[in-house]
Amino acid sequence: MEKIEKNAKKVLEKTKKLYGNSPDVNTRIINIKGTNVGIIFLESSSQASTISDFIIKGTLYSSSNNNLFQNIFDNLKNNLFNSQLFTINDYKQFPYFLSSGFTIIVTDNSDEAIVMETRANLDRGVTESTSEPILRGSKDSFTESHSKNLGLIRKRIKDSNLWFDEIKLGRKTQTRISIAYINGITDKQKLNQIKNRLNKIDIDGILDSGNLRDYLIENKSIFPQIHSTERPDVVSQALLEGKIVIFVENCPFTLILPTVFIDYLHTSEDEYQKSSNITFTRVLRIIALIITVFTPAIYIAITTYDQNTIPDKLLISLAIQREGVPFPTSFEIILLTAIFEILRESDIRSPNSMSAAMSIVGALVLGQAAVDAGIVSPITVIVVAFTSICSLIFTDIDFMNGIRTWRFIFILAASLLGIIGILSFTIIWLIKLASLENLQTSFLSPFAPFNKKAQNDAIYRAPETKQIERPNYISNLNPHRQRRSQ
Amino acid sequence: MKKYILLIIFITLSLTGCAGYKELNELSIVTAVGFDKKDDNYELSFLIANSPKEGTSSKEGEAKTTVYVGKGKTIAEASKEVEQIIPKQIYLGHINVVIISEDISKEGFLNIADWLLRNPETRKKFYLLQAKDTSAKNILKIVSPLESFPSQSIATLIESNAESKSIATSVTYSNFISQILEKGYDPVLPSVSIKGNVKKGSNEKNLETTEPESYLVLGPLAIFKQDKLKGFSTEKESSMINIIKNDAKEINYNVKYQNEDISIESSKLKSKIEIKDEKNVTIKISGLGDIYHINNKIDIQNYKEINKIEKAWSKQLKNDLLKVIKKIQTEYKADIFGFGNQIYKNNPKKWEKLEKNWNNQYFPHLNIKIETSLKINQTGSLVKTIKEDKS
Repeated sequence: MEKIEKNAKKVLEKTKKLYGNSPDVNTRIINIKGTNVGIIFLESSSQASTISDFIIKGTLYSSSNNNLFQNIFDNLKNNLFNSQLFTINDYKQFPYFLSSGFTIIVTDNSDEAIVMETRANLDRGVTESTSEPILRGSKDSFTESHSKNLGLIRKRIKDSNLWFDEIKLGRKTQTRISIAYINGITDKQKLNQIKNRLNKIDIDGILDSGNLRDYLIENKSIFPQIHSTERPDVVSQALLEGKIVIFVENCPFTLILPTVFIDYLHTSEDEYQKSSNITFTRVLRIIALIITVFTPAIYIAITTYDQNTIPDKLLISLAIQREGVPFPTSFEIILLTAIFEILRESDIRSPNSMSAAMSIVGALVLGQAAVDAGIVSPITVIVVAFTSICSLIFTDIDFMNGIRTWRFIFILAASLLGIIGILSFTIIWLIKLASLENLQTSFLSPFAPFNKKAQNDAIYRAPETKQIERPNYISNLNPHRQRRSQ
Repeated sequence: MKKYILLIIFITLSLTGCAGYKELNELSIVTAVGFDKKDDNYELSFLIANSPKEGTSSKEGEAKTTVYVGKGKTIAEASKEVEQIIPKQIYLGHINVVIISEDISKEGFLNIADWLLRNPETRKKFYLLQAKDTSAKNILKIVSPLESFPSQSIATLIESNAESKSIATSVTYSNFISQILEKGYDPVLPSVSIKGNVKKGSNEKNLETTEPESYLVLGPLAIFKQDKLKGFSTEKESSMINIIKNDAKEINYNVKYQNEDISIESSKLKSKIEIKDEKNVTIKISGLGDIYHINNKIDIQNYKEINKIEKAWSKQLKNDLLKVIKKIQTEYKADIFGFGNQIYKNNPKKWEKLEKNWNNQYFPHLNIKIETSLKINQTGSLVKTIKEDKS
């Protein structure tokens, strides 16, 4: 707490110095009948027209008004036109408000300062989601504007029980972080745990919600245990289920807690499409998950250890295809998988104009030339391509990368130990997954521990009319989401 | 500490690993094996399915088959000799067909059975065939225009034949061995022979002609007494044997009726063997048949005529069956129908007394009674014969 001096000129000088005389610190002094009124704002983050229209005009107007002239400070406070106007008396808060696009007004006769919102519009508008495209459902997505993001949720959930708890994190960045939840549905114990974990953070900067991730989990794992989304409808669904959502200023991606494994196999669309079709789609996704994790490993295991399991004609065809290939099967698979991963990574990083060239090179080099040159066998290309296609089903990049790691572990296990290796590492994998827990919620809920009530929206999706209760592994408060229909 | 544990795990994994590790292109996949005997030496022929065709690149995936032959005093010795010729590792996991020559069968099949059964790599579900009038090696060499490699052509031949003609039955290796081991049971094997010129048939050019120079024929059943070959039945006898053994799936039978042949196809003939004591056996045959072909003027819409045909069918089938059984009882003295096995199952103690003399004393003098209940189900889509319509 640092007091504000009762001298407008001095305060302005001090502030300029505080910012190292940066050119975007604008000051102005208006003398009203012997009293100095100082105006400070950052040109870079404020809108100049708002300042001249409302503050300068307002100040000059009050100076001309002789009758009301009592105390210039109170006068200004009452006569400036703005919805966001308040007073502060701590000089230390100056930088935060100035950087956020506020204009500060100080006078000679008061140790308080008037703060008024004059933010410049530095945000892009609400656009369509690029990372989670859907066919059916609302298309908007979060932006970098914190208030816009919260607004997109308020727009959807109009109940006053939608509460936002705000804290500021980052010594330098002073990032606003809002914890959204619905009072009365969300488990308060979980909420407090999250707040405790966030309050313990003392770091110079938080730029993205991804920075918070590691502070919010209990067990280490390759898999992300916090779902991240940029779709307001996904967030609203999560809130209605009793989950807690963390918004970080300047970041369009929100964090949803607690997250379970099956959430990564769901999309927001699941809620809008016909339930019986969704059950089928989810089964497909699970099959794709199994394929993408195990196919290369199983291919290696059965072609190098258990040839007995391959049908006669297929075996002969495989053997002929491999004729002349110089590398062992497992090396072939690792090589191709690695090339694919590199291709994917470079495709993400490269600008759009280059990706066409990249895909041609990728397809030709990987698919055609490598086979023609006899470096890899055609069946390996098929196996790797199939695996990669299946891995693209999942939208969460962290989840995809987790799967990729385990795919490589299984490939190594299969090339060293065959089917036995795959089996033993599957057991290890399941044990690891089942031992993960965050906020009293097991990662494999509702399967392990088995929860019969929650099965109506895990793999099988019951019709909307039958989904009476919220998933009880998330919150037990207020379990009913709809009245049982007659 | 943790580091050491990780190190130990890594070492154990890498040491135990790679046991049984084989790359596919380092294997010679054997799909058929032939056993021959020349003088005192066994001849072992391996049909290798994955020799790449000359002039085609690997990605086209075309295979050529090659037969390699090894000789030796024992089977193991012979197989060692083949291993020396073939540059790749021999892989027996995908054997489809095993063919044994007459010499070996006559001497006793069990002499060679051990090698196949003991090898952990082999499946025990491959088909076993008896070579007739030729060596097993020659049969492996014949290439068929319809299937890409010989062993596959034999396997499909057996499967389709067992389905539609019921002359040969499919006998797998494990079936055959278990029948030898079972009490009061003698096995049968389908036989295979070559029609045409062996040398021309083994040439790849055989595939290019519209009329193959030579091809494989599934012959009638070979009758074994225990593990020794006793003789071959005729085709007609084979189908009769299959009816009694309940192996006949689809069978075509010609009934003589009013001096003309009526061909009846029956798909579901069932036989049931009932044994009261060691002297009397009743075989009950039941089933439905469809008329396939008629040449004479019969009003098949008249059920009385149909009844007559049914009676004739029953009578003639009964006669044929009895004839075959008699022949087997007297000529081969091999209990291929498993009558003894039935007695053993019903009354093991009694079997102990009979076992010694069963094949020589009791089996040949069994009283066989056959009861039939046969019905004609369908008469086809013609009411009259075409000839009749014209006149």
